[in-house]
Amino acid sequence: MAVQVGNWLDERLGWRKVWEAIFLRKVPKVNWLYTLGSATLFVGLLQIFTGILLTIYYVPTPDHAYDSVQYITTQVPAGWLIRGLHHWGASAMVVLAVLHMIRVILYGAYKFPREVTWFSGVFLLLIVLGFGFTGYLLPWDQKSYWATTVGTRIAGVAPVVGESILRIMRGGEDLSAITLARFFGTHVWVLPTALILLVALHIYLVIRIGISAVPKREE
Amino acid sequence: MTEEDQLSRRSFLSIATWAIGGFMGIVLAIPALAYIIGPSLQRTKSENWVRLGSTSKVEIGNPSLFKTVVENQTGWIVSEAEISAYVITENGRDFSALSNICTHLGCRVRWIPESEQFFCPCHNGVFDSQGLVISGPPPRPLDRYETRVENDQLFILVGG
Repeated sequence: MAVQVGNWLDERLGWRKVWEAIFLRKVPKVNWLYTLGSATLFVGLLQIFTGILLTIYYVPTPDHAYDSVQYITTQVPAGWLIRGLHHWGASAMVVLAVLHMIRVILYGAYKFPREVTWFSGVFLLLIVLGFGFTGYLLPWDQKSYWATTVGTRIAGVAPVVGESILRIMRGGEDLSAITLARFFGTHVWVLPTALILLVALHIYLVIRIGISAVPKREE
Repeated sequence: MTEEDQLSRRSFLSIATWAIGGFMGIVLAIPALAYIIGPSLQRTKSENWVRLGSTSKVEIGNPSLFKTVVENQTGWIVSEAEISAYVITENGRDFSALSNICTHLGCRVRWIPESEQFFCPCHNGVFDSQGLVISGPPPRPLDRYETRVENDQLFILVGG
């Protein structure tokens, strides 16, 4: 029965070819360091899942942000777990992405014909850092408020355009409801869109070109 | 390695991958479900005895309207809501308190002393002095609060 349904769908969708291309492709003999990219992807999916759950209760305004986060953490069943996963997952994302990048650098996997994979990866790392920066403000507690004050101030020291960047990031002179709302909007709409598009490109290229073998000592 | 060995190793890894993936999915899905439906299962209203006022203010045989403010907590927001109750006594010792919310669609009823009836202006619901339906669309009598008298102060049980 399951086989028949599978065949019926395959005739129409051709999903077996896609499945084979993704999961049954040939790979060179590699080591565990090659799992760092998949690990990053897995944590990324976990971040999307827990992030969507958090928006069910979180409200991004100064008079509700802190209280709604406290409500999630202390009142909602498993809220501490969902928030905790999202919180620690954020750090794990950065660590895993950086380790993944170090592996690519050390193994020379960024070279021809994988330059575009590398470029998209660099932008993905920047997006992950953007997630961390915008997400840090959302609990709207003392730590996040002052961290964002300092973080935007750092952007402000850039020559010539610094002051404008600072004002645009904050949406005005100081941190305010506008800052919180735009950080939230960036965190849940702008960055995820960019992330998903670039991850799709990144993975497409990995599948299309194939992964690089471990470099040999003498070649 | 024989052909059969390779096959079993392959299917073992396949099964193991699906099993671990399924396990992780369940481990994640259960808290997620609890998280989503949690607040709908929690009782947000706690039972509270609320002081309405002095029993001496209740006229014998004539329902008197008392108003009081109760605190409501919904999620992380605490709000104050005014509730009103008609207090009735026939002898000055036994009190009953009727909600002034019409059981039809939630409008506020008021006591009409001339006809000695509660009247709901929305759809002409009429109740007698005990809150029983006389005419109109209300499906049941007016709700009653439990009452308690302490040192000549009247309390009603709110929430629950």
